[in-house]
Amino acid sequence: MIKTERILHLKSCRGRKVRVVREHYLRERVPCYSGMCQAGCANDGKVLPGDLTHYVVPDVGVVVDYLEILEFREMQGIIFTQTACQAVQHSKGRRQSNRLRNLLKEPRHDCVLFANEFQQYSFCPREKGESQEKWQTRCVYSAAVWYYNHLAGMMDIVMITDDQEAVDQYSSLSSGVYVITVRDYLQNFWPDLQAAHELYASVSQVLQEKESEGKEGEYGEHLPPEVLEAGIKSGRYIQGTLNVSKHRAQTEAFVMMEGFSNKSSDIGCRVLVHGDKSRNRAVHGDVVVMELLPKSEWRGKVTALSEGQGAEKSGEDESKPLPTGRVVGILQRNWRDYVVTFPPREGPQSQSRNSQRILAVPWDYRIPKIRISTQQADALQDHRVVVRIDSWESSSLYPNGHSVRVLGRAGELETEVQTILIENSIHVPPFSDAQLREMPVNSPEKPWKVDPAQVAARRDLRESHLIFSIDPKGCEDVDDTLSVRSLAGGKTLELGVHIADVTHFVKEGSITDLEARTRATTYYLADRRYDMLPAVLSGDLCSLLGGVDRYAMSVMWELDAHTLAVNQVWYGRTIIRSSYQLHYELAQALLNGEQAEVPELARLGSERKDDRLAELTQALETLTHIARQLRAQRDQGGALELEGVEVRAQLDEEKNITALVPRQPLEVHETVAECMIYANHWVARKIQETFPHQALLRHHPPPRQEFFSQLLESARARGFTIDTITNKALANSLDRAVDPEDPLVNRLLRMMTTQAMSEALYFSTGSQSLDQFYHYGLALDRYTHFTSPIRRYADIVVHRLLTAAIAAEGEGAPGKGLASNKELEEMSRHINSKNRAAKRAQKLSTELFQCLFFKDRDPQTDLRCLADAVIYSIRDDGVLVFVSEYGVKGPVYLKNREGQVVTFGQDGSCEWQSGSVRRYPDHISTTSACNTSTFRLFNHITVRISVYSSHCHADRLNLEVISNKPYRSTEAQQPRSEGRCQLVQEVVRLAEEASQQAQEKAARGPKLSREERKFCQSKTPNLYSLLEEVRELALMDPEMIPQVCATEE
Amino acid sequence: MAGLELLSDQGYRLDGRKATELRKVQARMGVFAQADGSAYLEQGNTKALAVVYGPHEMRGSRSRTLHDRAVINCQYSMATFSTAERKRRPHGDRKSTEMSLHLKQTFEAAVMTQLYPRSQIDIYVKILQSDGGNYSVCVNAATLAVIDAGIPMRDYVCACTVGFVDETPLADLCYAEESGGVSSLALALLPRGGQIALLQMDARLHQDHLETLIEAAMTACKGVSKVLDQVVRQHLEEVSMLTGE
Repeated sequence: MIKTERILHLKSCRGRKVRVVREHYLRERVPCYSGMCQAGCANDGKVLPGDLTHYVVPDVGVVVDYLEILEFREMQGIIFTQTACQAVQHSKGRRQSNRLRNLLKEPRHDCVLFANEFQQYSFCPREKGESQEKWQTRCVYSAAVWYYNHLAGMMDIVMITDDQEAVDQYSSLSSGVYVITVRDYLQNFWPDLQAAHELYASVSQVLQEKESEGKEGEYGEHLPPEVLEAGIKSGRYIQGTLNVSKHRAQTEAFVMMEGFSNKSSDIGCRVLVHGDKSRNRAVHGDVVVMELLPKSEWRGKVTALSEGQGAEKSGEDESKPLPTGRVVGILQRNWRDYVVTFPPREGPQSQSRNSQRILAVPWDYRIPKIRISTQQADALQDHRVVVRIDSWESSSLYPNGHSVRVLGRAGELETEVQTILIENSIHVPPFSDAQLREMPVNSPEKPWKVDPAQVAARRDLRESHLIFSIDPKGCEDVDDTLSVRSLAGGKTLELGVHIADVTHFVKEGSITDLEARTRATTYYLADRRYDMLPAVLSGDLCSLLGGVDRYAMSVMWELDAHTLAVNQVWYGRTIIRSSYQLHYELAQALLNGEQAEVPELARLGSERKDDRLAELTQALETLTHIARQLRAQRDQGGALELEGVEVRAQLDEEKNITALVPRQPLEVHETVAECMIYANHWVARKIQETFPHQALLRHHPPPRQEFFSQLLESARARGFTIDTITNKALANSLDRAVDPEDPLVNRLLRMMTTQAMSEALYFSTGSQSLDQFYHYGLALDRYTHFTSPIRRYADIVVHRLLTAAIAAEGEGAPGKGLASNKELEEMSRHINSKNRAAKRAQKLSTELFQCLFFKDRDPQTDLRCLADAVIYSIRDDGVLVFVSEYGVKGPVYLKNREGQVVTFGQDGSCEWQSGSVRRYPDHISTTSACNTSTFRLFNHITVRISVYSSHCHADRLNLEVISNKPYRSTEAQQPRSEGRCQLVQEVVRLAEEASQQAQEKAARGPKLSREERKFCQSKTPNLYSLLEEVRELALMDPEMIPQVCATEE
Repeated sequence: MAGLELLSDQGYRLDGRKATELRKVQARMGVFAQADGSAYLEQGNTKALAVVYGPHEMRGSRSRTLHDRAVINCQYSMATFSTAERKRRPHGDRKSTEMSLHLKQTFEAAVMTQLYPRSQIDIYVKILQSDGGNYSVCVNAATLAVIDAGIPMRDYVCACTVGFVDETPLADLCYAEESGGVSSLALALLPRGGQIALLQMDARLHQDHLETLIEAAMTACKGVSKVLDQVVRQHLEEVSMLTGE
């Protein structure tokens, strides 16, 4: 088995200075991965279909430069050669080669890798004096020829290259193998693929530009990688991720250090990079290497709300100097797709000498302007366009990029929403046909039925249990149902949580699964949502609707009726039929004993109806009782009531129950939430015990104490002390910090606490130690997500783990085919980042709608633009306020650009006069010639809200102080009771009207409008979205107040 | 930051081998007439020359004499031209001394030393070209040389290195793989009985993986032993043809 008659070839490649000789083994049998293979190659995995007209073999240069074109899913039958892949690895670095590798792994894309250099007949040794490029082209060509012969001439092979010489040299050499240029290929074979043509044009233009680039240096050259590596090892340089300040993108950036053991105490974990020159072409997110400057050149960061007017002033408003450094090299570029706006031609564009080069302004403030060469500059004016950065030479002031895709005109709703998605790297194409074909069918003609085999394999709860769901009104995707009953003559209780069995429909490795994994979560925007699973699953077959048979995954506890101690837990797959599909208000009404109409019982006779109603009410009461006990248990264990309170606070705003009393939500919300937490906790225990090294859990690390400083200061201003040592102490002290006069104070304090929290994250148990599993907010030692598999991928993973755990229990055999710790860790990182992106996108879209709401109103006349605001933080020349009515936070300036300050008369009216501002720890006062005004923390003031439009970036709200008295107009109660929910609805309605008008004008392509119809579902305010909005509500968010405000970030 | 991808997604290594495949082994026995036994062995680009003197009576300090068996004396050295950068000191450095010791231990386990009490067997090995797996190549070459010298052994001693990459054991590492940060393990085996003559590893490896790694190493060693067996048989045929006629 060992010796083969392989020929030994020696390949010498020159390293730095030494001559290295490497062996190179060739073999006859290298799999071709073609469906037409006659020779019986061992083709496992992805196979090129045989029904294509041709296969295409891209040349090395094409793979290196035009990979983006090959990424189009329409392009089929691509054979990447090993030569090309290695060239990518060498010339483009890890990022690009990972991209290529992912492309090859992607089962939806028709492309394979052919190891041509290990094939005996397709390998050609490099000849003496032959240039690298020539040799590579020859290798690729010989691979193409090999394919043609291997497939016995049944398939035409097209080799595409961007080298005209190669075309001349090879095109006539052998029949069946065509060598043509990329341009010809696209024109002849894909005349309809307009996007690819545009992309080709823009990429090739960039390449041409690059060749004609001048050499004079704007920036210092980066050091070579060896020097950097040595420098990092010796401690001379520091490695870290560049984080550009949102508010002073031009000048300030920080480098977060990675794995830097803090030997010298004067260097914190952040280093300031000041100015363009010392940033040296690094872009936000890059991993950079930097050198510390001598202490005499250290600078502080600016804390004033607005930019200092003159350079000579800058010394004053800087805080104490921070370690400052300059970038000497970049280890890893982390460029993604950016959205930019093309400026109007008569704008500040001064580079009119070469009209084809445009400086486009990215939507994200932190990204420098990108230079784009395009011939469509006129057509693209005022459009938002997706671009990619190609390079940034030291000779150029701005990076070079090329355009990829046009999103639409700036300012239109659809464009803006797409912008938000792309800026957060969220990619949600409509579900593909192949994927929809995998789905089971449920139509009136062909109704979906339960499989008898499944019924036999599952525990049947259809008859034995009273199962019901409680969700927000109008909810389509019901993932969770509950059941409760008493056993053994009332001695024990059986509590059941039944979760939709998504994994039954979504098999691991199927296309649906892959797509769901890529999305990782359902994205909720203010006016629409992008589902993780196709609608037939999420809205129908997986959804546990009332009155139909559905598969479920159940957790059932047998509890002692008095102590509620757990006697027994049962996990397993079940088949259920939900009897009632309740909503929260209805359930609460039943609990309160009010008259309520249950739709499921409407048609029954009154006597039976009463019986059934009594039964249901009894179950609800038992459930509430259990939930209270569970809650009390967790409280004793030190549970932090943070999240719960925040939800309730948010709920008030959404549901408008009592906006001023945050402690009165519907109890039934908490009941349901508590049962879900309980189920999650027990599932976490189960999978962690069965798979100690490869279970997916969710932990919430304790917050860093220094993050509490703002909370403590603010609380002190009102005379409260907050104890932040443990979660229990924190919860208790927050409960005490109530101002009877102003309930908002407690709410604000809780929001600040939320802001201080660290983020809850998924992780794999194998990669953390046991004491890291703790969930700080819920005070549970183990926690995971199990209850919402329809909209979270993590839950699907947990479902699979639980299934494997149950199977392992039955057979006693260890689970096989499970994701290893490494894969799981990678997956959890992916899910975490997607969740973060989803949150950001949701927040941005809410802001977008807030702006749209105020955009059409005249701030001077419309009363709705006046609102009551609470001061929650003090800055050098202004304050940060929270407008509870609209959930808006923002800065209010007390000093304008002309140096005038605002003061108030006796009646509260304000005046702008020249004067000065003084800042104290808990208040700020303005002094002018005639009088002095003071603003304290938690003071109520009246602000006027207007929209500050920005051409290239997102619009934002502008707050302007009107009076230092709380806003109490006669109409004040009216908008408050409507709140934000209505705000969003109204904007959605306006937007829909606008979009309909636009459709009439046929200004919009048909595709967009179809997508809109498909996804423009109203947002359901379910528990998930509520929880998500907690963070969004959190105070002190620097993103709200771009560019003008400094933060203690 | 391992720059090189040691095992591609399709299962190829840097030089085109699959995970379990060995490098090409070529060997000749009896290359020098003046020594008692000698052999030359190439395993890929690693080339070694082994020479055996003995058994003969003790030379040097007689105090080392053992009364029940022979003393095995090993010396390992590397030619100055064996590596990409010229080596300063061909033998006697710390690494070579260690390697000599390992060779000695290996052969004490394999050679039937009790047949030659109060005598000494010298094994000299020289690496002519180094491309990874020096120890195992030395062992394999020395085995052939010992056989050529006619010294009885319990079995062939075959050695092979195995590395661990992406949860897969790679047999017979070349230099590029060895220097790529792979945790590697060297194993010398008496294949017929499956006894391990020497096992050496100085890298970190999770305990769970050790067994699979040893398993892979043993398979590889058995592969080597087949090749060595073939070489010995061929050599004997040649020799018998020369002497028989």
